[in-house]
Amino acid sequence: MNPSGLYAHYIDEPETPRPSPLVPPLCFSMVSPGVYRSGYPLEINFPMLEKLKLRTIIYLADTDYLDENITWCQRHDITVHHYRVPSVREPFVENDPVAIESALRVLSDRRNFPLLVHSNKGKHRVGVLIGCMRKLLQKWSLTAIYAEYMRFAGEKGDADLEFIELFEPKSLGDVPEDSRQEWLVT
Amino acid sequence: MPSTFSRFVPPVNFALVEEGVYRAGQPTAINIPFLESLKLKTIVWLAVEEPNEMVLAFADENELTIHHMGLAEGGNPWDPLTEQCVLDALHEVINLSNFPLLISCGMGRHRTGTVVGCLRRLQGWNLAAALEEYRRFTGTRRTRVVNELHIEAFRRESVALPAKEVIPKWLWAALSTE
Repeated sequence: MNPSGLYAHYIDEPETPRPSPLVPPLCFSMVSPGVYRSGYPLEINFPMLEKLKLRTIIYLADTDYLDENITWCQRHDITVHHYRVPSVREPFVENDPVAIESALRVLSDRRNFPLLVHSNKGKHRVGVLIGCMRKLLQKWSLTAIYAEYMRFAGEKGDADLEFIELFEPKSLGDVPEDSRQEWLVT
Repeated sequence: MPSTFSRFVPPVNFALVEEGVYRAGQPTAINIPFLESLKLKTIVWLAVEEPNEMVLAFADENELTIHHMGLAEGGNPWDPLTEQCVLDALHEVINLSNFPLLISCGMGRHRTGTVVGCLRRLQGWNLAAALEEYRRFTGTRRTRVVNELHIEAFRRESVALPAKEVIPKWLWAALSTE
């Protein structure tokens, strides 16, 4: 592409050997210090995720956790909070406010960090929880929250955006003051 | 904007890259309270043009260093970054003494995305994952192949690592083979 460029002499040479690339799960991203999001982590992703030294996983899906994930979490001492929330099918299958509120409470306590939130694809269900976190714990504007949601989920998800706007849990206030993450705005 | 607006507004295309490293499009006045919360020390500015007055004033007041790196040859906003420019930018991005640091250009898509994509390659990420992240910000239809090629052709050997004391711990973890 650019034979005079700096990398040109590397193009025909093999890269310095490295055991194997680090493969993050689909839709992987950092959300805030200590919080990450992604799609379902498969075995191919384990070496990359081990670098994060996770303490907690929040899994949002109505499917069972695979045996290899259970074993991997046990081996690395990772606590899994599994919320069996269904994939939203507009207009009849909706988000579950009880599960979201409970997951938010786990998310707002830094004793659980580093923490990974994942669903199966890392788009819609994760997007709703992170959207609620941005709104309730970090006081982001809804416009910015929706932009972030759509960066992962694309066009679909009108019901999710509506849910994020209208969701007002009674209280998230029972996390002790000294355990709150510093980005928690209340 | 009503003065009673009490929510934080991050700049367009804002996201976290790693602990201490953020990415975004050019901030405007409405983003100031949010920017203040980041306690930035450095901006790596990759556009051809100077940052706007507000960014310059913000940097002045908060004693931020702006590294303006998008200027190399030609100078059209749609030109891709040169390889040297990406390497110069990465040099600042992997230096802990610059943190917290914001990587930014006009919209926070192509130039910012190229640097972040090469950073991912330096971290040892596979190409598909680095490009997935790049396209998350450009959209799949408006991706620029030349920038994707840049990320593909990037070789981690071309980056001189800084002294061990100033390598961020996430990069240190990525580079260690344990």
